[in-house]
Amino acid sequence: MKQWFQDLFLHNPMLIEITRFRRRYFSFRSGNSTNSVVLTMVLLCYAGLVLVVRDNSHNTNPISLIMFETGLLTVFAPMMLYGAIAGERERRSWDLLLAAPITKSQIVFGKFMGALAALSVAVLLFQVPILISALSFPETNWLKLLWATLMSFAFLLDVCALTILFSARVKRGLMALGAVLGILGITLVVIPSVFSAAGVDRVSSQVTMFLHPISVLYELGGNDRDRYSMVDQPTFVPLWLWGWPQTIVYALFAVLMLNWAAKTLTFAENEVKFLPQGNKNA
Amino acid sequence: MLEVKNLRKEYGGLTAVKGISFNLNPGDIFGFIGSNGAGKTTTIRMIATLLEPTAGTAILNGADIRKDPMAVRRMIGYMPDFFGLYDDVKVWEYLDFFAAIYQVPPKKRTEVIDSVLELTNLTVKKQSFVQSLSRGMQQRLCLARCLVHDPTLLLLDEPASGLDPRARAELKELIAELGRMGKIVIVSSHILPELADFCNSVGIIERGELLAFGPVGQIIKDMQPHRVFAVHFVSDADNASEYVATLPNVLSSQATGHGEVRIEYGGDLDGQADVLTRLIQKGFRVSSFREDSADLEDVFLKLTTGAVN
Repeated sequence: MKQWFQDLFLHNPMLIEITRFRRRYFSFRSGNSTNSVVLTMVLLCYAGLVLVVRDNSHNTNPISLIMFETGLLTVFAPMMLYGAIAGERERRSWDLLLAAPITKSQIVFGKFMGALAALSVAVLLFQVPILISALSFPETNWLKLLWATLMSFAFLLDVCALTILFSARVKRGLMALGAVLGILGITLVVIPSVFSAAGVDRVSSQVTMFLHPISVLYELGGNDRDRYSMVDQPTFVPLWLWGWPQTIVYALFAVLMLNWAAKTLTFAENEVKFLPQGNKNA
Repeated sequence: MLEVKNLRKEYGGLTAVKGISFNLNPGDIFGFIGSNGAGKTTTIRMIATLLEPTAGTAILNGADIRKDPMAVRRMIGYMPDFFGLYDDVKVWEYLDFFAAIYQVPPKKRTEVIDSVLELTNLTVKKQSFVQSLSRGMQQRLCLARCLVHDPTLLLLDEPASGLDPRARAELKELIAELGRMGKIVIVSSHILPELADFCNSVGIIERGELLAFGPVGQIIKDMQPHRVFAVHFVSDADNASEYVATLPNVLSSQATGHGEVRIEYGGDLDGQADVLTRLIQKGFRVSSFREDSADLEDVFLKLTTGAVN
């Protein structure tokens, strides 16, 4: 078996991150009372969502639930991950890892796998209301639903990879969080709003919105006649081009960003700022 | 064997370590002494492969820190001065994690974890969460982590900081035991009497320069080549001082007040006994006569100026 596969998947000690994520976010026995309170509230909200969907399943488009899931987890994923690497630096546990014989790829991949496990649990939980709605909603298109689910998951992997990348690049976890939320806010909210307000031409708006996850879900969730994009322009991209291309592009982006994050760790490894205040190079 | 060769680190215009060299053999416990900012931590971090030296290198059992850092990492256990642990894991999981990183075979891990926990007196905490441990216990856990792969070299940067006196005594005993096990141990500390107790060699560093290196006794002897006695007299100390100065092998004699005379003596033990006998025969009333041997603290204060980079 390829050595890299063994190092990253089979014998990667950093897969302990999966246990740590489970304890931190999905366990009442983590010893942290704040986490327990948050988990209780999340479970109550989840139960409420399932009940609301069950009572309105005929009127609830399952893809609108995927939109809700995507929006919610796009905000929550950076909050869970911003300290993945920057937090290790702040906590001073980073040196212990760097002085050990572990590769940068193993560190980044282990962190990502922890996030992936947590994300998978959250996405699986969302599948319950989505399934309830899909079974009752009269216009459910199962193929579109599958692509919407996969595309949403791939986009959320991008968000995780982006957060890990920033966490690897900066020294403070909150800086990573701010940067990631800022980028997401600009690309997902500000740009579409500007386009909508400015009334840009049809081609520009379609090309720009082609990689916008909510736009994709909007397209997949609408009916096939009189289709309009999110920026109120009649869409000309055929329906079969929504879903799978974005899934592939997002997955590729995630791989690229993780690769970049692994390379970025060199920055922290070789130099630690150690200059007294007042030094011209400090 | 560890060979440190002309190790140097520059940060911009600042030279933190100015080309230091020393060799250590298995079983050596080396105390690294210096003020804050003297270059101890930078040196230790370079040997730990965390900082790239500007010049020079260190070679551990043939592995060069610059050419083969991964091989060096497999042979070292590094305990930084400030460190954090993972709060949300249990003690055994934390050790298992590092045992996996150091590629301890899965079948041996339980045995290894049990033995390092026993060595560091943490067996009862095996199933506890790391966050529930006291500062002293966390310090011992970090040391246990350093030992899971049976390292050749231990780099302990201020391991006793923040520990209570009992925990310090236990740590001292543990480090001495590691030396007896044949490991090379480098310990940096500010608590000089403690280092003198269990280190068989020390290095004194100031402003990035190694001012002295060698066995504790030898460094002290180099700094104070002759014996010094402090003799207390009931009365007439000034006359006694003048008389002593005339005796053979007495290099200097000085009354320092309160009936005390300090004598620098270059002779052997028999001659030393004769000094006391002749003082008493001469009628001087001696209330105490003791050798005033220098310790590591005296040597450190004599060698260093307190200046930092």
